[in-house]
Amino acid sequence: MTALLQILFDALSLGSLYALGAIGIALIFGVMRLVNFAHGDYISFCVFALLWPSIDAAAIVFAGQLPAYLLIPIILATGACLSMLSEVLVFRRFRNANPATMMIASFALGFVIKYTLLMLFSSRPKSIDLWSELALPVEILDARIPLLQVITIIITVLILAALVAFLKRTRFGLEMRAAAENFTMARMLGVRANAVILLAFAISGMLAASIGLILVTQTGTVDIQMGSSVMLVAFIATVIGGLGSLPGAVVAGFLIGGISVLMQVILPLEVRPFRDAFVYGAVIVVLIWRPNGLFAPRSAKQRV
Amino acid sequence: MKKLLTGVAGATIMMAALGTSVAKADDIIVGFATASSGFMQAYDKPAQDAAMIRIDEINKAGGLLGKQIKTVAADTKTDRAEGAKAGLEVIDKGASLVVVSCDYDFGSPAALAAEAAGKVSFFLCAESIKAGIQGVGPHSFSASVLAAVQGATMAEWAYNKKKARNFYRLLDTWTEYNKGICDGFDWMMPKLKDAKLVGQDTFKNEDTSIAAQITRIKSLPQQPDAIMLCSMMPGVVSAVKQIRAAGIKSMILNGSGVSGGYWLNATPDLSDFYVPDQGSVYGDDPNPAVNEFNKKYKAATGGDPSSQYVYPGYVMIDVWAKAVERAKTTDADAVVKELEKMKDEKTLFGPRTFTDKIHHQNRGRYLITEIKNGKPGVVDEWTISEPIPVEYLVKK
Repeated sequence: MTALLQILFDALSLGSLYALGAIGIALIFGVMRLVNFAHGDYISFCVFALLWPSIDAAAIVFAGQLPAYLLIPIILATGACLSMLSEVLVFRRFRNANPATMMIASFALGFVIKYTLLMLFSSRPKSIDLWSELALPVEILDARIPLLQVITIIITVLILAALVAFLKRTRFGLEMRAAAENFTMARMLGVRANAVILLAFAISGMLAASIGLILVTQTGTVDIQMGSSVMLVAFIATVIGGLGSLPGAVVAGFLIGGISVLMQVILPLEVRPFRDAFVYGAVIVVLIWRPNGLFAPRSAKQRV
Repeated sequence: MKKLLTGVAGATIMMAALGTSVAKADDIIVGFATASSGFMQAYDKPAQDAAMIRIDEINKAGGLLGKQIKTVAADTKTDRAEGAKAGLEVIDKGASLVVVSCDYDFGSPAALAAEAAGKVSFFLCAESIKAGIQGVGPHSFSASVLAAVQGATMAEWAYNKKKARNFYRLLDTWTEYNKGICDGFDWMMPKLKDAKLVGQDTFKNEDTSIAAQITRIKSLPQQPDAIMLCSMMPGVVSAVKQIRAAGIKSMILNGSGVSGGYWLNATPDLSDFYVPDQGSVYGDDPNPAVNEFNKKYKAATGGDPSSQYVYPGYVMIDVWAKAVERAKTTDADAVVKELEKMKDEKTLFGPRTFTDKIHHQNRGRYLITEIKNGKPGVVDEWTISEPIPVEYLVKK
């Protein structure tokens, strides 16, 4: 029982990260049909914002020393600004380009961010101790769960709840949903396209920043590659969830996290190094079964 | 295609001829085909700086065979194709010794170019058996010690000095280096009477959470005495942080990939954590000459050595220059012959042995560094009781 509970928490906390990443991507895809591959680099950028630029092996912690009540808003704002900036400087110019072109542009932007970080901080991963007291375990029904895992799960649930409330209860949310449903029609009905898209980018950037903060607290590591692996899984989650569907992205994020943990537990040692092959095998099966994803939004179907 | 290749080869030979005629006849040239840009730069630069220090020392003491050592460099840009070009470029400039990137995969293209030109090549710090005769050819060497020796050293040391009996093996499947550490550990385990492997697991360096792996360790009837952690930066920090956060107190044994104190601020209270080091970067090396070297390094680069991977650069020039001195020529075959005669050749960072079977260290003296309350310090040193057989290393 304890072991099961432990596995459940492991799965939920890993899934939380993926779910947060997946919504960030799904949000942007919803409003402008852009798969933003620079999203992973937003994550890395936000984490590096904790440090002072230097190519020394040891990290020079700068913003990271601020108290949490200042640090969290600053990092969230960093994510939001970077994301909005990339919309204003890059993606806005591609508004009418085809999705493949936009995707390539997002790749290019990702490279620019990554190599800027490489130049400022070098390729060496750096270490930083952020809120390590969160790593202490708490006991829940006999299972010892690191506090951070619990917090990650709670934060994810809170963010999701806030996002749902925002989308369902506010004018901006309504506009955003309308834009996701049918952008041209929404515009004709008076939805302010630039504002809505900018807002979607801001939220997406803040989600990237929160993933960054959780990752760095958990791993103690700052690395220019660190966003990429989360980004990959999150992207896959948005695809299985049904591109553009927010609930789909969340469910699929948790699903991949769950499968990944489960595989690590049940696979025999010899095949465990190939865990991800099994995880992605499951992804393929899901896509064969539901090619449009688990929750294909109406907007994804061909309109006649 | 073939024509093109012949053309390129022809041009190369011509350029090589020109290059040598440009270089002064009374200089000995060391060529660095290493990364001065891209992500390998952060790994190549420190060892290269150390090599420069040794070159400087030799030049100040009158040079090599009465000649000054000059250096030339070409950037591999952390790219395998560029690596081959960089190798050719330094050979063209007359290099008698071609120094290549720290990592086997990134260093081998330049090393192969050197091999084809009949020049001696040295990997700055690659720790795979392939970095040498097995993967490049008879003129190729590595200045470091095999990853497998690190795993074997930690196992034998923990068994003898820490009375560890129950071991757990946690392998990060990301690189060959990680696998190498665990291979050495696996080779040593059966030799340790009544030492037992109570469990093993794998993870991936990029895993954000190793919760499932930790749950597996925690569900053992008894916590292992020691966890052999075969991993490297950056994933290893995350793994260690999570292992300790979960309340697992077993001692953790590592490869040299975690050498250097620069990452310890991520784990402020880390204890019972052991690292094999070729020399101490913490200023407490039992050999005062190493501490002297650290001072020189700081004067030259503005910072202390960040990890033990600085040192092989110094060793490399040291052993190569000795071989040149003994061979009385920089001719590759004669130098290789002298290098292969070296048996427990003293260097600042442990003895070096090369034979005609292996141009790498399958045994080596390691300092054991303990991290206690987040502070590193040398506590012991250990040399494995017998070298790891070449056949075992090649088979793995």
